[in-house]
Amino acid sequence: MNVEISNVTRRFGRTEAVAGVRLETGPGVFGLLGPNGAGKTTLLRMLATVIPPSTGQVRLLGRDPGSYGPRREIRRRLGYLPQNLGYYRGFTVADFVEYFALLKEMPPGRVPQAVAAAIERVDLGGRARAKLRTLSGGMLRRAGIAQAIVNEPELLLLDEPTAGLDPEQRVAFRALLRDLGERATVIVSTHLVEDVGTACSEVALMDAGKIVFQGTPAELTARGEGTGAAGDAPLERGYSAVLAAARSGKAAA
Amino acid sequence: MTLRHEMTGGRDDRPGPGQGPPGVDLNRAWLGVAAEVWRRRPGPAERLAGRALRSPGLARALVATPSLLLGWVIASAVVLAAGMLATLGTGTPFVALSAPGVAAAGIAYAYGPGIDPAWELSQSMAVGDRMVLLVRVLVVFALNAALGLAASAASGTAAAVTFGWLIPMTAVSALALAAAAVTRSASTGAATGLAAWAITVLSARSASGQVSTAVASSVLVLPYLAVAAGCGAIAWFATRIPKGTS
Repeated sequence: MNVEISNVTRRFGRTEAVAGVRLETGPGVFGLLGPNGAGKTTLLRMLATVIPPSTGQVRLLGRDPGSYGPRREIRRRLGYLPQNLGYYRGFTVADFVEYFALLKEMPPGRVPQAVAAAIERVDLGGRARAKLRTLSGGMLRRAGIAQAIVNEPELLLLDEPTAGLDPEQRVAFRALLRDLGERATVIVSTHLVEDVGTACSEVALMDAGKIVFQGTPAELTARGEGTGAAGDAPLERGYSAVLAAARSGKAAA
Repeated sequence: MTLRHEMTGGRDDRPGPGQGPPGVDLNRAWLGVAAEVWRRRPGPAERLAGRALRSPGLARALVATPSLLLGWVIASAVVLAAGMLATLGTGTPFVALSAPGVAAAGIAYAYGPGIDPAWELSQSMAVGDRMVLLVRVLVVFALNAALGLAASAASGTAAAVTFGWLIPMTAVSALALAAAAVTRSASTGAATGLAAWAITVLSARSASGQVSTAVASSVLVLPYLAVAAGCGAIAWFATRIPKGTS
Protein backbone atom coordinates (compact mmCIF):
# COMPACT_ATOMS: atom_id res chain seq x y z
CA MET A 1 0.00 0.00 0.00
CA ASN A 2 1.42 3.38 -0.96
CA VAL A 3 -0.96 5.29 1.28
CA GLU A 4 -2.01 4.04 4.70
CA ILE A 5 -3.74 6.44 7.04
CA SER A 6 -5.76 5.54 10.10
CA ASN A 7 -7.93 7.65 12.39
CA VAL A 8 -6.39 10.83 11.05
CA THR A 9 -7.75 14.13 12.25
CA ARG A 10 -6.61 17.64 11.52
CA ARG A 11 -7.81 20.64 13.45
CA PHE A 12 -7.32 24.33 12.80
CA GLY A 13 -8.19 25.96 16.09
CA ARG A 14 -11.72 24.78 16.86
CA THR A 15 -12.44 23.64 13.33
CA GLU A 16 -11.98 19.96 12.61
CA ALA A 17 -11.19 19.89 8.88
CA VAL A 18 -10.49 16.16 8.78
CA ALA A 19 -12.26 13.99 11.35
CA GLY A 20 -11.06 10.42 11.80
CA VAL A 21 -10.27 9.37 8.25
CA ARG A 22 -9.02 5.90 7.41
CA LEU A 23 -7.73 5.19 3.93
CA GLU A 24 -5.53 2.61 2.25
CA THR A 25 -4.69 2.62 -1.40
CA GLY A 26 -2.13 1.20 -3.79
CA PRO A 27 -1.34 1.94 -7.45
CA GLY A 28 -4.23 3.27 -9.51
CA VAL A 29 -6.21 6.47 -9.81
CA PHE A 30 -8.12 7.32 -6.68
CA GLY A 31 -10.73 10.05 -6.82
CA LEU A 32 -11.48 12.20 -3.81
CA LEU A 33 -14.88 13.78 -4.23
CA GLY A 34 -16.81 16.13 -2.02
CA PRO A 35 -18.38 19.55 -1.72
CA ASN A 36 -16.37 22.66 -0.91
CA GLY A 37 -15.09 22.57 2.66
CA ALA A 38 -15.38 18.78 2.92
CA GLY A 39 -11.73 18.42 3.94
CA LYS A 40 -10.28 17.16 0.63
CA THR A 41 -7.56 19.79 0.38
CA THR A 42 -6.54 19.37 4.02
CA LEU A 43 -6.29 15.61 3.55
CA LEU A 44 -4.21 16.11 0.42
CA ARG A 45 -1.92 18.59 2.20
CA MET A 46 -1.29 16.00 4.91
CA LEU A 47 -0.50 13.39 2.25
CA ALA A 48 1.86 15.89 0.61
CA THR A 49 3.68 16.21 3.98
CA VAL A 50 2.96 19.95 4.04
CA ILE A 51 1.07 19.66 7.33
CA PRO A 52 1.06 16.81 9.86
CA PRO A 53 -2.12 15.32 11.29
CA SER A 54 -3.36 16.45 14.69
CA THR A 55 -3.91 12.81 15.63
CA GLY A 56 -3.70 9.47 13.87
CA GLN A 57 -1.10 7.65 11.82
CA VAL A 58 0.08 8.33 8.29
CA ARG A 59 2.38 6.08 6.29
CA LEU A 60 3.32 7.01 2.75
CA LEU A 61 5.26 4.74 0.41
CA GLY A 62 5.94 2.54 3.43
CA ARG A 63 7.55 5.37 5.42
CA ASP A 64 6.63 7.59 8.33
CA PRO A 65 6.53 11.24 7.17
CA GLY A 66 6.85 12.42 10.78
CA SER A 67 10.61 11.82 10.75
CA TYR A 68 13.03 13.96 8.75
CA GLY A 69 14.85 11.24 6.80
CA PRO A 70 11.80 9.26 5.68
CA ARG A 71 9.93 12.48 4.93
CA ARG A 72 12.73 13.61 2.62
CA GLU A 73 12.68 10.23 0.89
CA ILE A 74 8.90 10.43 0.45
CA ARG A 75 9.23 13.91 -1.00
CA ARG A 76 11.72 12.71 -3.60
CA ARG A 77 9.08 10.25 -4.83
CA LEU A 78 6.12 12.58 -4.52
CA GLY A 79 4.33 14.74 -7.05
CA TYR A 80 2.00 17.42 -5.75
CA LEU A 81 -0.22 19.94 -7.48
CA PRO A 82 -1.74 22.29 -4.89
CA GLN A 83 -5.09 23.91 -5.49
CA ASN A 84 -3.51 27.36 -5.59
CA LEU A 85 -0.13 26.66 -7.06
CA GLY A 86 1.41 30.09 -7.51
CA TYR A 87 3.88 30.77 -10.31
CA TYR A 88 7.18 32.57 -10.66
CA ARG A 89 6.15 34.99 -13.35
CA GLY A 90 9.66 35.51 -14.70
CA PHE A 91 10.35 31.79 -15.13
CA THR A 92 9.80 30.00 -18.42
CA VAL A 93 7.80 26.77 -18.37
CA ALA A 94 11.03 24.78 -18.66
CA ASP A 95 12.70 26.83 -15.87
CA PHE A 96 9.70 26.23 -13.62
CA VAL A 97 9.60 22.47 -14.15
CA GLU A 98 13.39 22.20 -13.86
CA TYR A 99 13.43 24.22 -10.64
CA PHE A 100 11.11 21.80 -8.92
CA ALA A 101 12.88 18.78 -10.42
CA LEU A 102 16.06 20.00 -8.70
CA LEU A 103 14.22 20.71 -5.44
CA LYS A 104 12.95 17.11 -5.57
CA GLU A 105 16.62 16.11 -5.64
CA MET A 106 16.46 14.32 -8.96
CA PRO A 107 19.92 13.35 -10.21
CA PRO A 108 21.05 16.46 -12.15
CA GLY A 109 22.05 14.42 -15.19
CA ARG A 110 18.50 13.11 -15.56
CA VAL A 111 16.78 16.46 -15.11
CA PRO A 112 16.85 17.95 -18.66
CA GLN A 113 15.41 14.79 -20.25
CA ALA A 114 12.79 14.45 -17.51
CA VAL A 115 11.78 18.10 -17.88
CA ALA A 116 11.37 17.72 -21.63
CA ALA A 117 9.34 14.54 -21.20
CA ALA A 118 7.04 16.12 -18.59
CA ILE A 119 6.45 19.22 -20.72
CA GLU A 120 5.66 17.10 -23.77
CA ARG A 121 3.29 14.92 -21.76
CA VAL A 122 1.15 17.91 -20.87
CA ASP A 123 1.37 19.17 -24.46
CA LEU A 124 3.20 22.37 -23.60
CA GLY A 125 6.16 21.72 -25.91
CA GLY A 126 5.24 24.71 -28.00
CA ARG A 127 5.44 27.03 -24.99
CA ALA A 128 8.39 25.50 -23.15
CA ARG A 129 10.43 28.67 -23.50
CA ALA A 130 7.53 31.05 -22.88
CA LYS A 131 7.45 33.07 -19.66
CA LEU A 132 4.79 31.88 -17.25
CA ARG A 133 3.28 35.37 -17.13
CA THR A 134 2.34 35.04 -20.81
CA LEU A 135 0.37 31.81 -20.41
CA SER A 136 -3.36 31.29 -20.06
CA GLY A 137 -4.88 29.78 -16.91
CA GLY A 138 -5.21 26.35 -18.52
CA MET A 139 -1.60 26.39 -19.70
CA LEU A 140 -0.41 27.40 -16.23
CA ARG A 141 -2.35 24.48 -14.79
CA ARG A 142 -0.62 22.16 -17.25
CA ALA A 143 2.76 23.61 -16.28
CA GLY A 144 1.79 22.79 -12.69
CA ILE A 145 0.95 19.23 -13.68
CA ALA A 146 4.29 18.96 -15.52
CA GLN A 147 6.23 19.86 -12.37
CA ALA A 148 4.17 17.31 -10.43
CA ILE A 149 5.01 14.43 -12.79
CA VAL A 150 8.59 15.39 -13.68
CA ASN A 151 10.10 12.93 -11.19
CA GLU A 152 7.87 10.03 -12.29
CA PRO A 153 6.34 10.04 -8.79
CA GLU A 154 5.20 6.92 -7.01
CA LEU A 155 2.60 9.01 -5.24
CA LEU A 156 0.93 11.79 -7.20
CA LEU A 157 -1.46 14.18 -5.45
CA LEU A 158 -3.53 16.49 -7.61
CA ASP A 159 -5.86 19.07 -6.10
CA GLU A 160 -8.47 20.22 -8.61
CA PRO A 161 -6.16 19.47 -11.55
CA THR A 162 -8.73 20.12 -14.26
CA ALA A 163 -9.67 23.61 -13.05
CA GLY A 164 -9.14 25.96 -15.98
CA LEU A 165 -8.68 23.22 -18.59
CA ASP A 166 -10.89 23.24 -21.66
CA PRO A 167 -12.91 20.10 -22.55
CA GLU A 168 -10.31 18.83 -25.02
CA GLN A 169 -7.53 19.25 -22.49
CA ARG A 170 -9.62 17.52 -19.84
CA VAL A 171 -10.05 14.46 -22.04
CA ALA A 172 -6.31 14.36 -22.71
CA PHE A 173 -5.59 14.84 -19.02
CA ARG A 174 -7.83 11.95 -18.00
CA ALA A 175 -5.93 9.71 -20.42
CA LEU A 176 -2.68 10.92 -18.84
CA LEU A 177 -4.09 10.10 -15.40
CA ARG A 178 -4.98 6.57 -16.41
CA ASP A 179 -1.48 6.12 -17.84
CA LEU A 180 0.17 7.44 -14.66
CA GLY A 181 -2.09 5.28 -12.49
CA GLU A 182 -0.71 2.09 -14.02
CA ARG A 183 2.53 2.54 -12.05
CA ALA A 184 1.80 5.08 -9.33
CA THR A 185 -0.83 5.91 -6.77
CA VAL A 186 -2.63 8.94 -8.12
CA ILE A 187 -5.02 10.75 -5.79
CA VAL A 188 -7.17 13.35 -7.48
CA SER A 189 -9.22 15.74 -5.41
CA THR A 190 -12.07 17.26 -7.35
CA HIS A 191 -15.66 18.34 -7.10
CA LEU A 192 -16.25 17.40 -10.76
CA VAL A 193 -17.78 13.93 -10.79
CA GLU A 194 -17.15 13.45 -14.52
CA ASP A 195 -13.39 13.51 -13.86
CA VAL A 196 -13.83 10.65 -11.43
CA GLY A 197 -16.17 8.60 -13.60
CA THR A 198 -13.81 8.42 -16.54
CA ALA A 199 -10.39 8.30 -14.94
CA CYS A 200 -10.63 6.72 -11.49
CA SER A 201 -10.66 3.07 -10.51
CA GLU A 202 -11.70 3.91 -6.96
CA VAL A 203 -13.41 6.85 -5.35
CA ALA A 204 -14.01 8.24 -1.87
CA LEU A 205 -16.58 10.86 -1.05
CA MET A 206 -15.84 13.24 1.78
CA ASP A 207 -18.25 15.39 3.71
CA ALA A 208 -17.63 17.41 6.86
CA GLY A 209 -14.15 15.95 7.26
CA LYS A 210 -15.25 12.31 7.02
CA ILE A 211 -15.19 9.72 4.27
CA VAL A 212 -18.83 8.85 3.80
CA PHE A 213 -18.37 6.51 0.83
CA GLN A 214 -15.54 4.49 -0.62
CA GLY A 215 -15.83 2.18 -3.61
CA THR A 216 -15.73 2.09 -7.38
CA PRO A 217 -17.41 4.72 -9.55
CA ALA A 218 -19.91 2.02 -10.56
CA GLU A 219 -20.80 1.42 -6.91
CA LEU A 220 -21.25 5.14 -6.38
CA THR A 221 -23.51 5.28 -9.42
CA ALA A 222 -25.54 2.40 -8.04
CA ARG A 223 -26.20 4.33 -4.84
CA GLY A 224 -28.18 6.88 -6.83
CA GLU A 225 -30.42 4.46 -8.71
CA GLY A 226 -34.07 4.80 -7.84
CA THR A 227 -33.49 7.41 -5.18
CA GLY A 228 -34.67 10.43 -7.14
CA ALA A 229 -31.47 12.23 -6.09
CA ALA A 230 -30.55 15.41 -7.95
CA GLY A 231 -28.07 15.25 -10.82
CA ASP A 232 -27.79 15.23 -14.61
CA ALA A 233 -25.66 12.09 -14.84
CA PRO A 234 -25.92 8.72 -13.03
CA LEU A 235 -22.68 9.35 -11.11
CA GLU A 236 -23.92 12.77 -9.99
CA ARG A 237 -27.11 11.18 -8.70
CA GLY A 238 -25.04 8.65 -6.76
CA TYR A 239 -22.96 11.50 -5.35
CA SER A 240 -26.07 13.42 -4.29
CA ALA A 241 -27.72 10.33 -2.79
CA VAL A 242 -24.68 9.44 -0.68
CA LEU A 243 -24.29 13.02 0.52
CA ALA A 244 -27.99 13.29 1.37
CA ALA A 245 -27.90 9.98 3.25
CA ALA A 246 -24.79 11.03 5.19
CA ARG A 247 -26.31 14.36 6.15
CA SER A 248 -29.71 12.95 7.11
CA GLY A 249 -28.01 10.31 9.22
CA LYS A 250 -26.06 13.03 10.96
CA ALA A 251 -29.21 15.06 11.49
CA ALA A 252 -31.02 12.01 12.89
CA ALA A 253 -28.13 11.33 15.23
CA MET B 1 4.44 26.67 -32.59
CA THR B 2 6.24 23.75 -31.00
CA LEU B 3 9.96 23.24 -31.04
CA ARG B 4 9.23 20.29 -33.26
CA HIS B 5 7.39 22.61 -35.62
CA GLU B 6 10.29 25.05 -35.56
CA MET B 7 12.77 22.37 -36.47
CA THR B 8 10.64 20.74 -39.13
CA GLY B 9 9.49 23.89 -40.86
CA GLY B 10 5.93 23.69 -39.59
CA ARG B 11 5.34 19.97 -40.05
CA ASP B 12 4.65 18.05 -36.88
CA ASP B 13 6.74 15.02 -37.69
CA ARG B 14 6.42 13.40 -34.29
CA PRO B 15 6.90 9.73 -34.98
CA GLY B 16 4.33 7.29 -33.74
CA PRO B 17 5.22 3.98 -32.21
CA GLY B 18 7.08 1.88 -34.70
CA GLN B 19 7.84 4.78 -37.01
CA GLY B 20 11.35 5.73 -38.00
CA PRO B 21 14.31 3.60 -38.98
CA PRO B 22 14.43 0.18 -37.34
CA GLY B 23 16.12 0.24 -33.96
CA VAL B 24 15.85 4.01 -33.61
CA ASP B 25 13.46 5.43 -31.02
CA LEU B 26 12.65 8.79 -32.59
CA ASN B 27 10.52 9.94 -29.66
CA ARG B 28 13.44 9.41 -27.35
CA ALA B 29 15.76 11.18 -29.77
CA TRP B 30 13.28 14.02 -29.97
CA LEU B 31 13.17 14.40 -26.19
CA GLY B 32 16.96 14.46 -26.17
CA VAL B 33 16.95 17.39 -28.58
CA ALA B 34 14.24 19.21 -26.61
CA ALA B 35 16.10 18.62 -23.36
CA GLU B 36 19.23 20.23 -24.76
CA VAL B 37 17.39 23.20 -26.20
CA TRP B 38 15.20 23.88 -23.16
CA ARG B 39 17.66 23.23 -20.34
CA ARG B 40 18.89 26.19 -18.36
CA ARG B 41 22.65 26.65 -18.28
CA PRO B 42 23.74 27.49 -14.71
CA GLY B 43 25.84 30.64 -14.40
CA PRO B 44 29.18 30.76 -12.56
CA ALA B 45 27.52 31.74 -9.25
CA GLU B 46 25.12 28.81 -9.41
CA ARG B 47 27.88 26.37 -10.34
CA LEU B 48 30.00 27.63 -7.45
CA ALA B 49 27.06 27.41 -5.04
CA GLY B 50 26.24 23.92 -6.29
CA ARG B 51 29.76 22.73 -5.54
CA ALA B 52 29.89 24.48 -2.15
CA LEU B 53 26.45 23.31 -1.02
CA ARG B 54 26.64 19.91 -2.74
CA SER B 55 23.05 20.38 -3.83
CA PRO B 56 22.03 21.62 -7.29
CA GLY B 57 18.51 22.26 -5.94
CA LEU B 58 19.73 24.42 -3.10
CA ALA B 59 22.04 26.27 -5.50
CA ARG B 60 19.15 26.98 -7.86
CA ALA B 61 17.01 28.14 -4.93
CA LEU B 62 19.85 30.41 -3.83
CA VAL B 63 20.30 32.16 -7.18
CA ALA B 64 16.53 32.71 -7.33
CA THR B 65 16.59 34.74 -4.10
CA PRO B 66 14.76 38.04 -4.77
CA SER B 67 17.21 40.05 -2.69
CA LEU B 68 20.20 38.52 -4.49
CA LEU B 69 19.00 39.47 -7.95
CA LEU B 70 21.26 41.92 -9.73
CA GLY B 71 18.84 44.84 -9.48
CA TRP B 72 18.50 44.45 -5.73
CA VAL B 73 22.26 44.14 -5.19
CA ILE B 74 22.88 47.25 -7.30
CA ALA B 75 20.22 49.18 -5.34
CA SER B 76 21.86 48.14 -2.05
CA ALA B 77 25.29 49.17 -3.35
CA VAL B 78 23.91 52.53 -4.50
CA VAL B 79 22.40 53.25 -1.06
CA LEU B 80 25.66 52.38 0.66
CA ALA B 81 27.71 54.37 -1.86
CA ALA B 82 25.47 57.38 -1.24
CA GLY B 83 26.02 56.84 2.49
CA MET B 84 29.75 56.74 1.90
CA LEU B 85 29.68 60.05 0.00
CA ALA B 86 27.50 61.62 2.69
CA THR B 87 29.89 60.37 5.37
CA LEU B 88 32.87 61.85 3.54
CA GLY B 89 31.02 65.13 3.11
CA THR B 90 29.54 65.55 6.59
CA GLY B 91 31.53 63.33 8.94
CA THR B 92 28.29 61.67 10.12
CA PRO B 93 28.61 57.84 9.78
CA PHE B 94 25.75 57.37 7.34
CA VAL B 95 27.11 54.05 6.06
CA ALA B 96 27.09 52.59 9.56
CA LEU B 97 23.58 53.89 10.11
CA SER B 98 22.17 52.71 6.78
CA ALA B 99 23.85 49.28 6.48
CA PRO B 100 21.68 47.51 9.12
CA GLY B 101 18.51 48.80 7.45
CA VAL B 102 19.66 47.72 3.98
CA ALA B 103 20.55 44.26 5.29
CA ALA B 104 17.23 43.93 7.15
CA ALA B 105 15.27 44.62 3.98
CA GLY B 106 17.37 42.09 2.06
CA ILE B 107 16.87 39.43 4.73
CA ALA B 108 13.10 39.99 4.89
CA TYR B 109 12.88 39.53 1.13
CA ALA B 110 15.11 36.44 1.07
CA TYR B 111 12.46 33.75 1.44
CA GLY B 112 9.06 32.98 2.86
CA PRO B 113 5.37 32.70 2.10
CA GLY B 114 5.10 36.43 1.52
CA ILE B 115 7.44 36.44 -1.46
CA ASP B 116 7.36 32.88 -2.79
CA PRO B 117 4.25 32.47 -4.93
CA ALA B 118 4.70 28.69 -4.94
CA TRP B 119 5.26 28.47 -1.17
CA GLU B 120 2.77 25.65 -0.64
CA LEU B 121 4.52 23.55 -3.26
CA SER B 122 7.97 24.48 -1.94
CA GLN B 123 6.97 23.01 1.42
CA SER B 124 6.55 19.57 -0.14
CA MET B 125 10.03 19.46 -1.66
CA ALA B 126 12.91 17.20 -0.64
CA VAL B 127 15.15 20.26 -0.31
CA GLY B 128 13.61 21.58 2.89
CA ASP B 129 12.29 25.13 3.04
CA ARG B 130 14.19 25.77 6.26
CA MET B 131 17.46 24.84 4.57
CA VAL B 132 16.63 27.17 1.69
CA LEU B 133 15.83 29.91 4.18
CA LEU B 134 19.05 29.37 6.12
CA VAL B 135 21.28 29.40 3.05
CA ARG B 136 19.57 32.43 1.54
CA VAL B 137 19.72 34.40 4.81
CA LEU B 138 23.41 33.63 5.35
CA VAL B 139 24.36 34.63 1.81
CA VAL B 140 22.27 37.82 1.85
CA PHE B 141 23.78 38.75 5.21
CA ALA B 142 27.32 38.04 4.05
CA LEU B 143 26.87 40.02 0.85
CA ASN B 144 25.41 43.00 2.69
CA ALA B 145 28.15 42.84 5.30
CA ALA B 146 30.79 42.83 2.56
CA LEU B 147 29.19 45.78 0.75
CA GLY B 148 28.78 47.67 4.02
CA LEU B 149 32.34 47.02 5.13
CA ALA B 150 33.70 48.19 1.78
CA ALA B 151 31.62 51.38 1.89
CA SER B 152 32.40 51.96 5.54
CA ALA B 153 36.13 51.50 5.07
CA ALA B 154 36.11 53.80 2.05
CA SER B 155 34.29 56.49 4.03
CA GLY B 156 37.23 56.73 6.43
CA THR B 157 35.31 56.46 9.72
CA ALA B 158 36.90 55.30 12.97
CA ALA B 159 37.39 51.56 13.41
CA ALA B 160 34.75 51.37 16.17
CA VAL B 161 32.19 52.75 13.76
CA THR B 162 33.51 50.81 10.74
CA PHE B 163 32.90 47.47 12.46
CA GLY B 164 30.44 48.60 15.14
CA TRP B 165 27.39 48.27 12.93
CA LEU B 166 27.91 44.55 12.28
CA ILE B 167 26.34 43.53 15.58
CA PRO B 168 23.35 45.90 15.29
CA MET B 169 22.98 44.66 11.72
CA THR B 170 22.73 41.10 13.03
CA ALA B 171 20.02 42.11 15.50
CA VAL B 172 18.01 44.17 13.03
CA SER B 173 18.28 41.47 10.35
CA ALA B 174 17.11 38.81 12.80
CA LEU B 175 14.21 41.03 13.84
CA ALA B 176 13.19 41.56 10.20
CA LEU B 177 13.43 37.81 9.55
CA ALA B 178 11.34 36.95 12.60
CA ALA B 179 8.68 39.53 11.73
CA ALA B 180 8.55 38.32 8.11
CA ALA B 181 8.26 34.68 9.23
CA VAL B 182 5.59 35.31 11.86
CA THR B 183 3.43 37.66 9.78
CA ARG B 184 4.15 35.77 6.53
CA SER B 185 4.83 39.12 4.89
CA ALA B 186 8.22 40.24 3.60
CA SER B 187 7.11 43.88 3.54
CA THR B 188 6.05 43.73 7.19
CA GLY B 189 9.39 42.16 8.06
CA ALA B 190 11.35 44.85 6.25
CA ALA B 191 9.21 47.64 7.74
CA THR B 192 9.62 46.21 11.25
CA GLY B 193 13.39 46.00 10.89
CA LEU B 194 13.71 49.50 9.45
CA ALA B 195 11.38 51.04 12.03
CA ALA B 196 13.13 49.32 14.93
CA TRP B 197 16.52 50.49 13.66
CA ALA B 198 15.31 54.07 13.17
CA ILE B 199 13.88 54.13 16.71
CA THR B 200 17.13 52.71 18.11
CA VAL B 201 19.28 55.31 16.33
CA LEU B 202 17.04 58.22 17.35
CA SER B 203 16.75 57.00 20.96
CA ALA B 204 20.51 56.59 21.29
CA ARG B 205 21.03 60.01 19.78
CA SER B 206 18.59 61.71 22.15
CA ALA B 207 20.18 59.94 25.13
CA SER B 208 23.79 60.70 24.29
CA GLY B 209 23.61 63.56 21.82
CA GLN B 210 25.65 61.60 19.29
CA VAL B 211 24.14 59.95 16.25
CA SER B 212 26.82 57.24 16.16
CA THR B 213 25.99 55.92 19.66
CA ALA B 214 23.70 53.19 18.28
CA VAL B 215 26.63 51.62 16.42
CA ALA B 216 29.62 52.61 18.54
CA SER B 217 28.46 52.03 22.12
CA SER B 218 29.80 48.85 23.72
CA VAL B 219 26.94 48.94 26.26
CA LEU B 220 24.51 47.98 23.49
CA VAL B 221 26.40 44.92 22.30
CA LEU B 222 24.77 42.46 24.70
CA PRO B 223 21.22 43.73 24.10
CA TYR B 224 21.83 43.49 20.35
CA LEU B 225 23.08 39.92 20.68
CA ALA B 226 20.13 39.01 22.90
CA VAL B 227 17.69 40.43 20.35
CA ALA B 228 19.46 38.57 17.54
CA ALA B 229 19.32 35.26 19.42
CA GLY B 230 15.71 35.72 20.47
CA CYS B 231 14.56 36.71 16.99
CA GLY B 232 16.52 33.85 15.43
CA ALA B 233 14.69 31.43 17.72
CA ILE B 234 11.34 32.99 16.83
CA ALA B 235 12.09 32.69 13.10
CA TRP B 236 13.13 29.06 13.58
CA PHE B 237 9.91 28.32 15.49
CA ALA B 238 7.73 30.17 12.97
CA THR B 239 9.13 28.18 10.03
CA ARG B 240 8.62 24.74 11.58
CA ILE B 241 6.11 22.35 10.05
CA PRO B 242 2.91 23.50 11.80
CA LYS B 243 1.70 20.96 14.29
CA GLY B 244 -1.94 20.04 14.51
CA THR B 245 -3.80 21.75 17.31
CA SER B 246 -5.70 19.50 19.66
